[in-house]
Amino acid sequence: MIRIAAVGDVHVDKDVVGRYRPALEQLPDVADVLLLAGDLTRHGTAEEAKCVASEFGDLGVPVVTVLGNHDHQCNQAPQVVEVLEGAGITVLEGTSTVLTIGGTRLGVAGVKGFGGGFAGRCASNFGEPEMKAFVGHTEAIAERLGAALRSLDCDVRVALTHYAPVPDTLVGEPLEIYPFLGCYQLGQAIDSAPTALALHGHAHAGTERGMTPGGVRVRNVAHPVIKQAYNVYHLAADSHPVDASVLVGRH
Amino acid sequence: MTVDEYTEAEIQRVLTEDVDIAEQGITVVRREHALILCGEVESEHRRDEVVRRVRELVPGVPVTCDIGIIRAQAPSEVEELS
Repeated sequence: MIRIAAVGDVHVDKDVVGRYRPALEQLPDVADVLLLAGDLTRHGTAEEAKCVASEFGDLGVPVVTVLGNHDHQCNQAPQVVEVLEGAGITVLEGTSTVLTIGGTRLGVAGVKGFGGGFAGRCASNFGEPEMKAFVGHTEAIAERLGAALRSLDCDVRVALTHYAPVPDTLVGEPLEIYPFLGCYQLGQAIDSAPTALALHGHAHAGTERGMTPGGVRVRNVAHPVIKQAYNVYHLAADSHPVDASVLVGRH
Repeated sequence: MTVDEYTEAEIQRVLTEDVDIAEQGITVVRREHALILCGEVESEHRRDEVVRRVRELVPGVPVTCDIGIIRAQAPSEVEELS
C-alpha cells in the first residue's frame, strides 16, 4: 500500500510561512510522499519560492510538484524551479519520476495543464492566432502528459496537474469559467495509460471527488477545497482504473 | 455610488491583477446598497488587504467581509482507494 499526501494552491509568501509546518511535521508518520498540485506561490518569484522551500522542504518524505498559473505570473518560472529543486523538491513539467516505496514503484507524471474546456463546450484550435496559440498550448501540454504517463515503468501511476482534467471536480465553480479551469484533453491523456489516481488543484470553489470517462479517480486537492494542510490517499499496490463497465449509466 | 456590473467586473479584475492582492477566489455579492465579499484566503493579512482595496474602489458603499482563513491542520482521516 502506498500513502500519498497531497495539497495544491497553498500560495505561500512570507505571511504564510509556518502555518503548514506543524501538520507537515507529522507527514513521515502518515504518508510516503507529498504531491503538490501547483500554485505554490502568489506571483511566482524566487523570493516566494524560498518561502515554499522553507515550508515544504526537508520533510522526511519525497516532495513532488508541478507549477500552477500563479507560479508563472512574474515570468520567473526557471528561477522558481531552481529554488525548489535546490530544496530537494522534484518539479515535473511533461516529465515523470519513480519512487520505490516498500518494494512498490510509484510513478508520478506531471504537467501544469491549461484551460480550454470540456467535451462539447470547449475552445477549438481555429481562427485567430491568439485562439490557436491558446488551444495549441492546451494540446501540447496534454500530449506531453500522456506520453509521460505511458512511458512510465512502474507499478502504480499517478497523474499530477494544476488544471482540472474533468468537470466533475469543478462543481461549485460558475459554469461560465469552466474553460479557464481545465480541459478534457488532460483527462484523455490520463485515460491513455492505466493511471490509478489523478490529482489537481486550481478550482478553489470546486469539489474533491470525480472520475475520468475511463474510470480514473480524480481528486481536487486545492487547499480551499480540502480545508486542511493535506489529504492522505491510500493506494493499493495493484491500483488501476475502475472497470469502465461500471460507469455505464453514470451521469 | 451604486455598484453596477461594470464596477463588479472592475473589482474582480483588481483583486486578481493588483500585485498586492492576486486573489482569484473572492466572490463579490451585490446587494441593493451594499457589497458582501465571500471566499477564503491563506492569511488574515490577505483578507484585510482585500477588504481595504475593495473599500477604496467603492467609497461610500458598505462592504461586509465574510472571507475566511483556510484551516491548515493535519488530517484526521485518510481515503482508501482500492
